[in-house]
Amino acid sequence: MSALPLHNYLVVGAVLFTLGLIGFLARRNLIILFLSAEMMLQGVSINLAAFGRYRGNLHGQVFILFILTVAACEAGIALALILMLYRKRRSLDVSVWQDLREADQEPTEDEEPLPLPDRVDDLPRLPHAGLEPKHKEETSHV
Amino acid sequence: MVMLLLGAVAPSLMELGSLMLPLVLGAAAIYLLLPRPVPFPTWWGAGLGTLALVAAGVLWVRPGGQIIENIIFYAFSFIAVVSGTLLISQHNPARAALSFALVILSTCGLFLMLAAPFLMAATIIVYAGAIVVTFLFVLMLAQQAGLSDADMRSREPLFSVVAGFALLGGILYVLHLNYDTEPLDQILARVQLAEHQSNTDDMDAIVKDSKNDLLMQLKVLLRAHGMKTLHADIENTIVWPTAGDGDDKASQLERRREQLAKLKDIVVQARSALARGVPQIQPHASHLEKMSSFSGPSAAVPADELRRDKVSGLPQLPADNAGYLGRSLFTDYLLAVELGGILLLVAVIGAIAIARRQGSVQEKGV
Repeated sequence: MSALPLHNYLVVGAVLFTLGLIGFLARRNLIILFLSAEMMLQGVSINLAAFGRYRGNLHGQVFILFILTVAACEAGIALALILMLYRKRRSLDVSVWQDLREADQEPTEDEEPLPLPDRVDDLPRLPHAGLEPKHKEETSHV
Repeated sequence: MVMLLLGAVAPSLMELGSLMLPLVLGAAAIYLLLPRPVPFPTWWGAGLGTLALVAAGVLWVRPGGQIIENIIFYAFSFIAVVSGTLLISQHNPARAALSFALVILSTCGLFLMLAAPFLMAATIIVYAGAIVVTFLFVLMLAQQAGLSDADMRSREPLFSVVAGFALLGGILYVLHLNYDTEPLDQILARVQLAEHQSNTDDMDAIVKDSKNDLLMQLKVLLRAHGMKTLHADIENTIVWPTAGDGDDKASQLERRREQLAKLKDIVVQARSALARGVPQIQPHASHLEKMSSFSGPSAAVPADELRRDKVSGLPQLPADNAGYLGRSLFTDYLLAVELGGILLLVAVIGAIAIARRQGSVQEKGV
């Protein structure tokens, strides 16, 4: 009996699940949050495939197919929601939505607050060369 | 009796330590690697991570089995774990999406090893093909300036790492108790050592060692795993001959060898049952017989009656994986397939409804 023990596959599944869990809890970018959730699903899929293989039936694989289906639906809707959230607050940061928390919870505050963006550096600097051309007065579309 | 069972369930400190050391190192590594405004030097986290993987390799990897199978399995698992770590510690979300694609590719390699070629292809197409590409599109639309400040920070890195690795420790401990063949391997090694001895005193010293009696340990282990028949076999058939029976040396040696051969047989059976994940406690069979045989033998069939491959001991699966999967889906799981289709339809409608811009383009603040 020289097949790889079932235990090995279960350990790999558990490790992937845990890494996904840590990523989901610790990261602030909505996209990476979602990718970590997908990684948790992959860990579970490995477990299911291993059990199905070592029991000799296809029930595990069928279950994985349904997980795949649900993950695809979830990805579509999640990305639509992420786009909507981005439109509202112009940021993919999940911490800008802290006002959705429970009434009795304290907000998480950054240890070093985010620096204010410097808008000044965005303007192009023209070198002093020759005559300045005439400027056309136009309203800026922001 | 309770103390014996407790002795089986609570492992020695060494065993627990060897299980948890790579976890502790890994937790520290990931804590150092999570993004921060002023990050720790990368090589600290990377070095600790390498140390954790080396510790896992030394303490957790068991020799045995076919070489090529082991190499492929450990290669894919290594890539999966490393890419997973990269995914959660990258501050660039585009690179995180690419690490995710690498995770998918390595898990698909593991699927292939688990006799699931259709699933491998489907997972690559759906995840690495569709989901990752969609994510990159969304990233392109939403974060055109590149990295944002929030990417350089983590929320609660310490709590999340501790929670995650506490969970992993619990899971690995339970898996170790139920599926790990290592304690049985150690007993097998002792039996083989006893067989190689040339006189009865040495054999007695190994088997009847006062601090850990081999038979007692084996019986306790078998009880803990629920292997009732093998436990009964030991109680009924194995009788270790006592010293000074009055017979000559040769026949005493002979009897001991005979007992050791029987013992070895029992241990090998127990070990292979554990390695194949054969459930020891058979479920109540009546409601399990309703499944058709299209997805394989029903769960009511006892493990001994499955058709097994002679070399690996694993049950034989049909070579036509996609065909049998299709048959299974449309017989056993028909309702679930239909519901899955409805779910997909609703998801598509929902995604379009959510993401549609309300009103005309000139509306401000949309």
